[in-house]
Amino acid sequence: MEGYSIDIVIFAPLAPILGVLLFWFIQLLFIQSEKFLLEKIRHKHEPLCRFTNFLGILFQTICHALGYTVTKSGISDFFISVDYGRVSPKKERTGIFEWIANAFLFIGPFFIPAFLLLISLIFLKVEGLELVIPLNITGTEYTFGGQITIFGSSLYNFSEKFFGFLSNIDLLHPGHFGFLLLLIFLGMGIRPSYIGEKKHEKIDMLYDLKNIWSLISFKPLYIIILFVIAYLFFHLSILINQFLYVELFSIFGWLSIISITALIIADAIVLLIKTTDEIPGKSRFLPYITIPSSYVLTRVFFFYFPSDFTKIVSLSIMILSTILVTFLLLKYKTKKFNTKTGMKPLRGKDDEEKKGKRRISRKRID
Amino acid sequence: MTKKKKEKEEFLENELIEKSLSPHPLSFMKLQSLCLFLIIWGVVLGWLVNFSEYKTLFSGNEWFILLAWGLVLLFVGVIASLILIRWTIFFLYLSVFVSAIALMIWQNWLNKDVAPLFIPFYSFAVSIIGFLIVEIYRRSHQYIITNLRIILMSGYLTKTELSIRYDKITVFGKQGILGQIFNFGTIIPITQSGLGLGSDQTLAAGGMMLGGKKAKLLGIAGGGKEVQTPRSRSSFELHGVHPYREIKNLIEKLVQENVPTAYHQEQVAFQKQQVDLQKQMRDLLKIQTKETSKKPISNAEIPDETDEEEKVEEAIEPEQNDVQKQMKELLKKQSELKEAEKIDEENEEETGEEKS
Repeated sequence: MEGYSIDIVIFAPLAPILGVLLFWFIQLLFIQSEKFLLEKIRHKHEPLCRFTNFLGILFQTICHALGYTVTKSGISDFFISVDYGRVSPKKERTGIFEWIANAFLFIGPFFIPAFLLLISLIFLKVEGLELVIPLNITGTEYTFGGQITIFGSSLYNFSEKFFGFLSNIDLLHPGHFGFLLLLIFLGMGIRPSYIGEKKHEKIDMLYDLKNIWSLISFKPLYIIILFVIAYLFFHLSILINQFLYVELFSIFGWLSIISITALIIADAIVLLIKTTDEIPGKSRFLPYITIPSSYVLTRVFFFYFPSDFTKIVSLSIMILSTILVTFLLLKYKTKKFNTKTGMKPLRGKDDEEKKGKRRISRKRID
Repeated sequence: MTKKKKEKEEFLENELIEKSLSPHPLSFMKLQSLCLFLIIWGVVLGWLVNFSEYKTLFSGNEWFILLAWGLVLLFVGVIASLILIRWTIFFLYLSVFVSAIALMIWQNWLNKDVAPLFIPFYSFAVSIIGFLIVEIYRRSHQYIITNLRIILMSGYLTKTELSIRYDKITVFGKQGILGQIFNFGTIIPITQSGLGLGSDQTLAAGGMMLGGKKAKLLGIAGGGKEVQTPRSRSSFELHGVHPYREIKNLIEKLVQENVPTAYHQEQVAFQKQQVDLQKQMRDLLKIQTKETSKKPISNAEIPDETDEEEKVEEAIEPEQNDVQKQMKELLKKQSELKEAEKIDEENEEETGEEKS
């Protein structure tokens, strides 16, 4: 084993933690953008907002209930509505158990629903769920650099396979279609705060961070205990010469990637809704009709003229045609791309002004 | 006769329509989900048989495909029937399955490798018909909320009509998750006669058999429980009305306006008492006038006021005397109450001044 001992003992265990934190912050940024978009369309799409609220509350409540189950507190009461969720434990437990249950409530919604999708990826035979140890770091695996390289390589390997699957997703395959639906639902509900009928202050990322920070600052001892456990786990991994520690954090990284992808897809859908709202009349539904019809037509075409890139081309045509139709509708049905005054009259005005100036100047000369 | 004219004829005098409603398109989701399942299962089986990697399992066996499709359909039908306690779901799926077999036999498609294509298309067609029937059923409901009553009308072939007055009803509301998202809900008016109430029944039975080859003993024990719950058919409730909260508040307001409160009841009783007294007084006066008109009065004898009073008192019978006494007592009570109110007001003013 190579590397400085201070690096191995103190800095190396921090590498995967920092990696996961980075991805988690990216997740929060996308959540923030989704909340912003939802807040914009709320007045016109109240049911959609209520549905996303319900999904968010459902994830939170399930995670909280899972927290009580893990800590063996038991569940005495479980209630979910569109704007409120409640879980009560059978036994009120204090100390570390209470903290774990609360951690499940605050951090669980970011990772636990994505874990269900990770399991469904196994059923869909998607590869990439293994740890990758690059050859060039042999001997320095347990240093900060080595740990972050293994973490990054595993994430890269997973991302490559996962995005490969997404770009080749077969929307006529019931399993794939179901997975996409779940991914959209995850993206819609993966947010820890509520978008209500009245404007709430607590819909921004700062509120979520404040909540998490108050949880940490309220019981700093537990954070220290968690770090101690992490360090112990890391050194135990070195002792048995296994990469269990980095593997655990790689799973969190994969979950973050799934969540971020889900958020991007959900953001795109909300953006499409927001854009089509600007189109007057019934033609606003045209982009939504274009999505399935273009895909089915392309697949029918490739059924008679087979190709190696049937799925990816069909998906690309579906996305591009939807964008094109939306763009054309915006151009011809709205004044979105028009300048306030037309260019021609402006040019004409400019010419007249110039002529006028010349006349004036000539008169003055005269 | 136009619909409006007909509607006008159906209303009572001074009756005003507050709201005319019909169920929300998603309020019959339980029925629509039956059709939805049929489509999903048809598509999944179609994909399994035609495009999946398992398609070799089904190739060349028409009966196998048909049975696989039908058995899953019936299994789901049994489970749904048990959960919802409605055996119509099972029989509905059974009829869909039997008609599919009948159609295939009639057209002689069983030996022509048609099943892989027939099942998805048949499922889709049956589901579309199902959706249409549900939609027609939904549209047959009409609920009218007037200032005097709630009118519930439904049915295309057989029309049912129910009119519920606001006095003596309890309003029960329920809203599912879908209702909460799309802001619709069901309002059940429960009347004193029990309309709007259903019952949940649980039954348990156990049996055992004892004995050897010859002597046998059989014992069965059982028990049941019944709980009354607000439940009704969509014809006898305001099923899936939108916007739920607004309509519920409106009905609550109308019920409140039509149900006399304790204060109203006291006021009515007091007014009745007063009317009775006035009637009695009128009768007394009539008697008085009759008696005085019977006696001849000479011009020379001009009666004194005191004599007149005595004569009136003589004319009044003992029963009428009681009534007068009661009236006097009532008047006394009224004046006492007024005085007490005045004293209270003065006290309040004094305390107010002290505070200031």
